[in-house]
Amino acid sequence: MKKHSMPEMKEGGVNVTPLIDIVMCLIIFFMLVAKIGVARGVDKDIKLPNALLGKVIKDMGTTLTLNVHHMPSGDPQVTAMVGDKAKEVKITDGTDTPLLRVLKEFKRTHEAKAVVIIRGDQNLDYGQLEMVLMAIATAGITDTAYETKEGTVAPPEAHSAAPVAAAQ
Amino acid sequence: MKMKGAKQVHYDSGPNMTPLVDVVMVILIFLMLAGSFAGTTRFLVSKQGIHKQGVGGAHPDPNKPIETPIEIRINRPPTLGGDDNGFVAEGTGIKPTSSPDAIREALRVKREQFNAAGTPTDQLQVVLYPGRHVKYQDLIQIYQAALQANYTKVAFATSH
Repeated sequence: MKKHSMPEMKEGGVNVTPLIDIVMCLIIFFMLVAKIGVARGVDKDIKLPNALLGKVIKDMGTTLTLNVHHMPSGDPQVTAMVGDKAKEVKITDGTDTPLLRVLKEFKRTHEAKAVVIIRGDQNLDYGQLEMVLMAIATAGITDTAYETKEGTVAPPEAHSAAPVAAAQ
Repeated sequence: MKMKGAKQVHYDSGPNMTPLVDVVMVILIFLMLAGSFAGTTRFLVSKQGIHKQGVGGAHPDPNKPIETPIEIRINRPPTLGGDDNGFVAEGTGIKPTSSPDAIREALRVKREQFNAAGTPTDQLQVVLYPGRHVKYQDLIQIYQAALQANYTKVAFATSH
């Protein structure tokens, strides 16, 4: 009986199978880890406060993010996504109140689902944050979310309570 | 003249993978550029809004049960300068403290007292009254302490 030998196999180039294996793994990793979503005008210069608790907001479609920067005095600097791009929205501009206008428009378009995300700098004074909170309340929005970064804070030094009242 | 080298047999061992590798590489680079890998951000969600004091303050909704406020006044010690963090908080049943853990514990005790007296937790509201110069990071710590004490309603009030 005639024996059939296997045809000679020759590789035509570099074996790319291990490369594809690794690249596919990397793609799956990036797809799982990366956060690709709707641009919401996040200002990455802001140092968020640390917190351990907190929820994850899945539906960002009904949110408006306000980046609130700490300023040495006066009004805080607020930026938000207005239209298609992030820009500064002043709390007061002469007799005008641009932030309130933006918030009222946001409330009108999203009604009861409207949520305002406050992305405040950790060094922000409450006096400045309060101006933003007042504008939110005046616009009729009750749902607020304070954005934080996962982490702990070093415990503050112990302070005596006695002279505090005079300082405020 | 014929070249001997050109006669060598060339076998392809499978499908051409080059287009696949091209596409996969493009997807990989897109994901690497488009993704953000900053630390996890979380949200402390509040449905309470700011409590306004004095003229212009919000009137309570007559359709909702009256909530029992647990007030905490927060001040920034005068010895602190610049952007240093630090606070002193005190309230009804809460001794002056600068420790979020102490606030959490005091709030937990208060909640248990209210619960024992028949007031459910959802009718309790922690109201934070910060001074104008209290830092946001400190407020978040106190806010978190209230949540850790299992309060569901935490609100800020206008500064004092």
